Amino acid sequence: MDAGFSKIHKVVRMGTKMSAEPNPFNITKAVDFSDRQIHDYWVDISEGAGFSDMLKPTSPMPMLILGGKGSGKTHLMRHFSYALQQIRNADNLLDGIKSDGYLGIYLRCGGLNAERFSGKGQRDDAWVEVFAYYFELWLGQLLLTTVIDLCADCDDLATEEPPTCQELAALFDVPGTGSATSFASIRDHLRELQRSLDTAVNNCAITRKLDAQIALSRGSLTFGMPHILATHLTPLRDILFVYLVDEFENLTEPQQKYVNTLIREKERPCTFKIGARLFGVRTYSTYSADEDNKEGSEHETLWLDSRLRSKEQQYTSFSQRLIARRLSEYVPVAQASQQSMPEFLRGLFDTPPTSDLAREETGDIPDKYQGGERPYFRSLSDKLQAGVRAGVAPGITTEDEIGTIMDTLRCAELPLLEKANIFLLYKSWHSGNDLVQAAASIAEDCQHYADGERQGRYTDTLLHFKADLLAQLSRECGQKQRYRGIDALIDMSWGFPKNLLILLKCIFSWAVFYGEEPFRGKPISVRAHDAGVAEAAEWFFRYARMTGPDGQNIQDAINRLGTLFRGIRYSDKPAECSCSAFSCDLSRVSPEARKYIDLAQKWSLLIDVGDQPDRNTERVDLKFQLNRMLAPRWGIALYRRGVLALSPEEVNAIFDVGQAGRFDEVLQRRVDRMTAPFFGRKPTSTPSKSQNEYLPGFNDE
Amino acid sequence: MSTCLGSTMNDYTFSYKTELPVDGSLGEKDDWHVFVSAFTSAERVLRVFDKVIARRKRWIVFPEYDYRPDGLPSEDHYLGEAANEAEYTQAFWDSFGEDIGGKNVCVDTTGFIRPYLIFLLRWFMEKGIRRFDALYSEPVHYRNREKTQFSGESATEAKVHQVAGYEGNHSPDTSNDVLIISAGYDHQLITRVAENKDHARKIQLFGFPSLRADMYQENVLRAHEAEEAVGPQATTNFAPANDPFVTASVLSSIVHQLNQKKPITNLYLSPLATKPQVVGFALYYLTELRGSASSIIFPFCDSYDRETGTGLARVWKYTVELPSP
Repeated sequence: MDAGFSKIHKVVRMGTKMSAEPNPFNITKAVDFSDRQIHDYWVDISEGAGFSDMLKPTSPMPMLILGGKGSGKTHLMRHFSYALQQIRNADNLLDGIKSDGYLGIYLRCGGLNAERFSGKGQRDDAWVEVFAYYFELWLGQLLLTTVIDLCADCDDLATEEPPTCQELAALFDVPGTGSATSFASIRDHLRELQRSLDTAVNNCAITRKLDAQIALSRGSLTFGMPHILATHLTPLRDILFVYLVDEFENLTEPQQKYVNTLIREKERPCTFKIGARLFGVRTYSTYSADEDNKEGSEHETLWLDSRLRSKEQQYTSFSQRLIARRLSEYVPVAQASQQSMPEFLRGLFDTPPTSDLAREETGDIPDKYQGGERPYFRSLSDKLQAGVRAGVAPGITTEDEIGTIMDTLRCAELPLLEKANIFLLYKSWHSGNDLVQAAASIAEDCQHYADGERQGRYTDTLLHFKADLLAQLSRECGQKQRYRGIDALIDMSWGFPKNLLILLKCIFSWAVFYGEEPFRGKPISVRAHDAGVAEAAEWFFRYARMTGPDGQNIQDAINRLGTLFRGIRYSDKPAECSCSAFSCDLSRVSPEARKYIDLAQKWSLLIDVGDQPDRNTERVDLKFQLNRMLAPRWGIALYRRGVLALSPEEVNAIFDVGQAGRFDEVLQRRVDRMTAPFFGRKPTSTPSKSQNEYLPGFNDE
Repeated sequence: MSTCLGSTMNDYTFSYKTELPVDGSLGEKDDWHVFVSAFTSAERVLRVFDKVIARRKRWIVFPEYDYRPDGLPSEDHYLGEAANEAEYTQAFWDSFGEDIGGKNVCVDTTGFIRPYLIFLLRWFMEKGIRRFDALYSEPVHYRNREKTQFSGESATEAKVHQVAGYEGNHSPDTSNDVLIISAGYDHQLITRVAENKDHARKIQLFGFPSLRADMYQENVLRAHEAEEAVGPQATTNFAPANDPFVTASVLSSIVHQLNQKKPITNLYLSPLATKPQVVGFALYYLTELRGSASSIIFPFCDSYDRETGTGLARVWKYTVELPSP
């Protein structure tokens, strides 16, 4: 697409965005939902108590909820917040909360604008004190707002308000609440204290003086208020006060250290559920003698996207219901049972059927190249001729034999089998076998396979390499790579529901652009589907990266890795099938490479997919796969089969910025080994006597 | 000073906005005691500096432009150590050697880096300057059309935070936060700001009429790149790209209307577009928002492009009237 068309196309699509056709997948982030929408669009996982089992809102053990962008942290945390408890328990709020066993106080760290508690000519430790005080005031207001709301709904609580307030007033080091008899007056007092602190912090930028009086001890409100409330307000006696602290990554290291300290020193009836991106936890340290909070001791961790990925069937079912929920307000979604829902969703996309012999996927190739040579045979012919010239094509002595080999390998109506034949020939060639004999043997196997026999090396080859061979066919014959159908989309999102919504949003938008009526008329066309997938993949690559120079370095490294996988997949004789993962011995790579592998994981560009025993040693290496969202960008496999074992030098050339200059050499070396006619072996300078006798037409230059 | 968001709706268009002649001198001998311009090697900045008549003229050189010593102006200038916008601005005026209170001040905003310009208005207000003239010279076009980058390669590294002096008094209730972005060409910056206030309802303010006829389309094309971050529910408003007073009035009107519908819990303003709009944002904030749950946020970069436009099309003079501290 040239630049001019691209620009026009973009403008037109912007027009479609503003058209009357609402995109049911437009909202891809929980933050864009109101509380009511969070409730209405909530979809739980079907196993056990659903997400409740994951977040454990009634467990006093603090929890870190870590997940990549789009894994659903905010949606999850808001689901357990008071605002949603209120909606769920509209009939009898207090009974509902008692039944829930917890009260969720949701705090968004972004709202604190925490970066202003630094610099301005003040010492760092002074800012820690000021922030701690500010955090108390902030959390205190959120808690009291919740309680005020609760009291408005429940007379039982309101009667206990005055005596409770007297105790709450005693929590302040500096008197000021007077004879407060209402929660509202204490909250107003907190608001005033916050206002005066804000003014002091803000003026500090101009005056260089921090004129703040701290009226509360650390944790006095955070822990003191729930304790007093639970003591005086009988209905809240057995309720756990859960502070749902979201966007933890927005706090600086000293600020996180303060919150970690609260976690470490938490008092009943409080607990914390902290939501953060994978890279968001800057420290586990605390101000309690600089001790670290430890997993299992001070907190437990929910790795959200990893957990969603780990149960594939469960995630698929969850995703299907998520899509159906969004669609239900757009089109009448069949009141499908769980069994028929997948079929209903599959029917929304024009997905060409697949079969053993891939007749449907490759059906247009015979017509396209009628009367002409198919590109993969042209390529084979070129390589055989080059091999003969260089004296590295065993068994070929006459030009006619090249033609014989090619004719032997043809299977005109089944291009997939032709590709398999050529692939097997390259394998034989690599092993040094007589190519004429090899071709004959392959053709025999091919015939058996075409006749329905399913055993032996030919069957194994197609079992393992079918996806790669089809990808090669698509590429060679000028077709788009296939990441089609609802199942592929769900698999691409791989634990990140937001990515699924973005894929669907892009596909919908392209379908409207092409004049279709997505989800209403015919199934969405293949071209809209392909364009949407490509756009979503590009979006993910561009925007799922961290800020700062490291962000660019990670992106460059991922680009190199994708290029390597692509080079291998589209080589003549890929050593690994469906290669989108690599293994390596991290202990032997450079610290710089380790750092970027770690960051790429934290930004969900790389996914840790377990361990892999090294083939040549007893060692167990770590294994990483490119996020499936990125597969279309390089036309690589969505599903992992083979894993590429990379040497430390290769890993360094990919991930270590300082050694990236060697990447082209590494790439070439790898791909050359899988490329005819030399397969990575240096061509001999003087071909042997028999090979030196050029065939007619081979020595034209 | 207001502590309530959007309680009033002000009209700023009574202020003076004058087009100055591109040829010939700018100003009379006693018009301005002090003239300050931010140094860049752009033609429109250098020409205006030459043509301005003032008792004292001085360049402020920003470290982010990364000028080598031999690239600095021969005229009186200040180049200090890198610091935040408040420290740098104060150091500039401290080095000035005279009290500017009560003097006629003129500032050419064209070459200013936005957070410095925003803070400058706050600084003037604190120093008792009730009125000053701001100049802005329009380019004939931006250097690379819609692909022009104003924040260089560092846009993706931008760190979003509040501008000193505009940090507000925010509320823990974030249920109806609003972010108003004046959307410039740098879609990366729009993305950074939108992601930073992910949860806020987004309003994009485009410069329309734009400085030149084709710039609006260029602007919209670039801003579209930030679509996913800005979100589907963002609404669009318009204010002239070269008018700070209409910009301030439009902001006042938007906020008032939004607040009428549903009280805004926190308001964030992020002026990423033209310098006149930046002045409009700062003026609106200082007049109506100080002490309220609102702040101006900006994606701070380590470096900015020095020359983004070519030619000099028009020169504007805005007489800005600041509120009392």
